[in-house]
Amino acid sequence: MKAKISELMDSELHGAEATAPLSALREEGGAREAWRTYHLISDAMRDTGVLSPGFSDRMVRRLAEEPAVLAPAAWRGAVAETVRRRLLPTAATAAAVALVGWIAFAPQDVPPPVPVVQAPVTKPVPKEPARVLPPAAAHDYLLAHQGYSPRNLLQGVAPYVRTVSGEAAQRKR
Amino acid sequence: MSLAQAQTTPEALQLLRKIHYATQSLSYTGTFVYQQGERSETSRIARIADSSGGVEKLEVLDGMPREIVRTGDVLRCYLPESRTVKVEHAGDQRSFPALLPERFTDLARHYVITRGERERVAGLDSESVLLTSRDELRYSYKLWADAASGMLLKARTLNEKGETVEQFTFTQLSIGSVARHKVKSKFATRNWQVEEAAAAPDNLAESGWSVSADLPGFRKIGEVRRRLHASPEVRQVVYSDGMAAVSVFIEPLPGKHDATRNGLSSLGAINIFTREVANHLVTVVGEAPAASVRRIAERVEFRRPK
Repeated sequence: MKAKISELMDSELHGAEATAPLSALREEGGAREAWRTYHLISDAMRDTGVLSPGFSDRMVRRLAEEPAVLAPAAWRGAVAETVRRRLLPTAATAAAVALVGWIAFAPQDVPPPVPVVQAPVTKPVPKEPARVLPPAAAHDYLLAHQGYSPRNLLQGVAPYVRTVSGEAAQRKR
Repeated sequence: MSLAQAQTTPEALQLLRKIHYATQSLSYTGTFVYQQGERSETSRIARIADSSGGVEKLEVLDGMPREIVRTGDVLRCYLPESRTVKVEHAGDQRSFPALLPERFTDLARHYVITRGERERVAGLDSESVLLTSRDELRYSYKLWADAASGMLLKARTLNEKGETVEQFTFTQLSIGSVARHKVKSKFATRNWQVEEAAAAPDNLAESGWSVSADLPGFRKIGEVRRRLHASPEVRQVVYSDGMAAVSVFIEPLPGKHDATRNGLSSLGAINIFTREVANHLVTVVGEAPAASVRRIAERVEFRRPK
């Protein structure tokens, strides 16, 4: 039924196909809950309503200042697309957890919006040195290294995704 | 909860053991998302448990398809774009076991290991365990596991500011018997180039190299000489604290090495530090904060043996 709710939401059900899911939605329960969950996901993806206006812009700016932190443009773009194309409807619930968890991890103290006129900003001296491009052979080093990682004992072969992550993009350098 | 008050609990160690056991003994198929830096990739994974260490396949679905297949002790990385198969032998690497269940209690020296809350991940009721670093020299971790089977469903690596630098999240998981074809590579590799690691035990000190982790809890778990990309003889020393590992690679300086690329670089949770020592290229790679990777790199010295 959850799969049907998702398809209903995406306007992929027509006429008679929609009857059963629509009936289910009239009752309170799992179907209604699924409906709310899927709307939460698509709201999060489209940044409408659920979050305060300008929240994601502030978050983008705030996190862009921190080089070590994952940039949320990724979740709006790549992750959202990935989740939407590949994982709905079977994984919509998990996606809700993943995306909502992602939002929840954003810093609690959101600074005021950046003024339109760009005044010179004095950035604090970074604690860490500037970063260079990874070595051209980075993935070769990672492959040689990964076999020793204790993570393999907890995750099997999954951590090897690090050794080929972005491999195609990397080789173009 | 401040670190001074927090204590590793037996229940948390028990959950780690449960995850370890599940990973070694279950057959499963699943789909997971890997996030690092600005990148996000979806992969399929399958495992068949058997008496010789199991067969596993990882297939990255985004971009150019790449595959990793491990059959017992042999690991093959299939790269269709370059028509190359890279072969690693895990047997060489297991001579110094990095993490055994009995060493979980060693972990508690450098991490506070505690249970977290229950959550749903990939539609499954899951338990969580936190490994909170006691210092700034290593990352912290949060792991979520299926309450029923112990399968690890989500894993997050956190830096000292509590920011996520890497995350694995299963979005779908099926535990149970797996059809054989799911762990076979789909590539026909007859005309592909095969690159064998051909690793052999090595002793760097004998050739004048002094390498040390100089980080509490990181002990040497491997020392080999092997082939790496175009170099037939690259030395590799590996250190681990039981949860994270760092490798030091030493190779003769390549003719066209670009010195402007020396220094620190990052790929999500992985930090890399490159420097030149005695006409050699030293590359330190590991799942540890930049300062730790750099510290190990700067300790590397060479003194020509008499």
